[in-house]
Amino acid sequence: MPSWSDFQPFIVSGLALGGVYALSGVGIVVLYQATGVVYLAFGAVGAFGALICWSLTTNDGAPDWVGWLVGIGFSAAVTLAYGMVFGVALAKREPLVKAVATLGLLLVLFGLMDLLWSASGGASRSLSLPTDNGGFMVGQVQVDWTQVLGIGIGVAITVLTGAFLRFTKLGTAMRAMANDREITATLGVPVRRVEAAAWLGCGALAGLAGILLADLVALDATTLTFLVISSLAAALIARLRSIAITFVAAMVVGLVHDLLTPISSVTNYRDGTPFVLAAIALLVFSGRSVMQLSREEA
Amino acid sequence: VALTREEREAAAAKSGSSAERVAPRLGSPDRPTLIRIAVIAVLLLFVLLALPQLLSAYYIDAMTQVAVYSIVALGLGVLVGRVGMVSLGQAAVLAIGAWVAARLLFATSLPYPLVLLASGLITMVLGTAVGLPALRLRGLYLALITLMLAGAITVVIETTNFPNGGHGFLGYNGGFIRIPSIRRPSIATTDPAMFRYSVIVAALMFLLVLVHIRGRPGRAWAAIRQSEPAALAAGINTTLYKLWAFALASFITGVAGGVLAGAVHYLYSIDFPTQNSITLLAVVLMGGAFSMWGAIVAALLYQFLPALLNNWGISNDWLTILFGVGVLQVLTTAPRGIVEQTPKDLAKLGRLLMGLTGRRTAEARSGPGP
Repeated sequence: MPSWSDFQPFIVSGLALGGVYALSGVGIVVLYQATGVVYLAFGAVGAFGALICWSLTTNDGAPDWVGWLVGIGFSAAVTLAYGMVFGVALAKREPLVKAVATLGLLLVLFGLMDLLWSASGGASRSLSLPTDNGGFMVGQVQVDWTQVLGIGIGVAITVLTGAFLRFTKLGTAMRAMANDREITATLGVPVRRVEAAAWLGCGALAGLAGILLADLVALDATTLTFLVISSLAAALIARLRSIAITFVAAMVVGLVHDLLTPISSVTNYRDGTPFVLAAIALLVFSGRSVMQLSREEA
Repeated sequence: VALTREEREAAAAKSGSSAERVAPRLGSPDRPTLIRIAVIAVLLLFVLLALPQLLSAYYIDAMTQVAVYSIVALGLGVLVGRVGMVSLGQAAVLAIGAWVAARLLFATSLPYPLVLLASGLITMVLGTAVGLPALRLRGLYLALITLMLAGAITVVIETTNFPNGGHGFLGYNGGFIRIPSIRRPSIATTDPAMFRYSVIVAALMFLLVLVHIRGRPGRAWAAIRQSEPAALAAGINTTLYKLWAFALASFITGVAGGVLAGAVHYLYSIDFPTQNSITLLAVVLMGGAFSMWGAIVAALLYQFLPALLNNWGISNDWLTILFGVGVLQVLTTAPRGIVEQTPKDLAKLGRLLMGLTGRRTAEARSGPGP
């Protein structure tokens, strides 16, 4: 068993990873609440944004902030476009169909990414943020600013989204739509516009998460695309409902994942953490009968 | 007002007749059934006897994969099309089947069919054990949890690797310089023979599924797909039949894994990424989850098309994009997939052409005035 000091660095990195998972999870939950869509293409959209950002800054010598803005803007635009076309077309279908349709977008983007930024031939890319350089020590542990950024953005987005849903008119409309789309529309809420806002916001979060994860984990289309499954785990633990629980779950997933690193017997299995935690949570919290569920789905 | 054929079909579909359409025809089979059986028999003979002569070694390999993956697609088709449960983890189940078969093939000298049976049964037990708790979930959550489990299985297999003749429970030896290949059935050591073998296994699996669909489980599944509460109210043990579907799909997928192990000789964890499960669902939806032919179309899309494009020097990424577009198209406009959509579209096209020529002759007849 490794000693306490072996674990210390992984607390920080785990929290940073958890922060980005939280940010992704919150994006997924908000979109699901507003539109009923589990956005499985979240990771692919973010990866695409991150790769565009990499191309602009590394190949074309654009300033960093241009790369970030274009990357996030692209993610937001693609998500909005998808929402306006397929989100609307599938609005009346069951949640399962809506979720599977986003896998279509995932495959399209995944194929395009591999065409444009081929991973074969061992080409490796990396995206580093200026926050990688500085840092400070906490006790014995080196903390860099990107990790602080990850934790900070995770907290900030969760708090801001919570406040947005609670206090603004648009946020109230989104919560209303989560309850009943038809009644909300009857009350005069511009349903389409509220949905568009949710898609746009979710896309922007995807881009942001993509760029952060490209720095914290790896800039690789496959890795980033399927990291969404990890953040989805957090959203699932919260049953796609509460952003506060999503945040906590994401932090736990990130922490457990990284804290398993120094334990040699399980270190190779640590990537399975989100899946195992989500599976346990889903199975434990889902002791409801078919009848109850069918009423919910109706 | 006479209904068009499509309207009648739509009306029939609305009244939930997919159950009726596959209802068992007992007694002496009628003419269409006999014709259908004859067509399938001829097709099977052609595939078994003529196809290996016609194809190059490269395409025989690809077609062996098609046979294997048609079984996998069939299993997923049962879950998605018959019961209405979406599994995003079938490629992981296939990996389990292949792992078990490879382990058995290295550890024992059992005849190949027995190994297939064992890998099918063990995969069935594992798949059902995983499916048992997951069955408390429905629809969306079931799909997502299978995605999670697929992710977890991928992580485990990446670490344990596939058996390569090493010792211990895992049977993996990272230090081998020359890895022994996984043995094939003694009657199917050559590639064409292996192809025939896999086609026969696939045919048996299709038969097994057909028996299920035509029988009591098929009717129960159809009821569950329409409405689970209604099925429950009608006295159907929904948990049993959902589990049955899971067990059947896992069993045939496990058998497919066993065939795959022998066909490819070497198994690597890198060949079973999580994304395969997603692509698999995509092709099954595109092929048509409601028909057994759809499974064959899905397998052709999944394994033959990439071989073809590879040969033409076109990147497989285009295929991934095509599958993505296909999923979106199927879900928005053609929920029954290629198998049922193509004849409809052809009929529509035919009518359109008929309409055009009809109009032209009408114009010619009315012709320019005097």
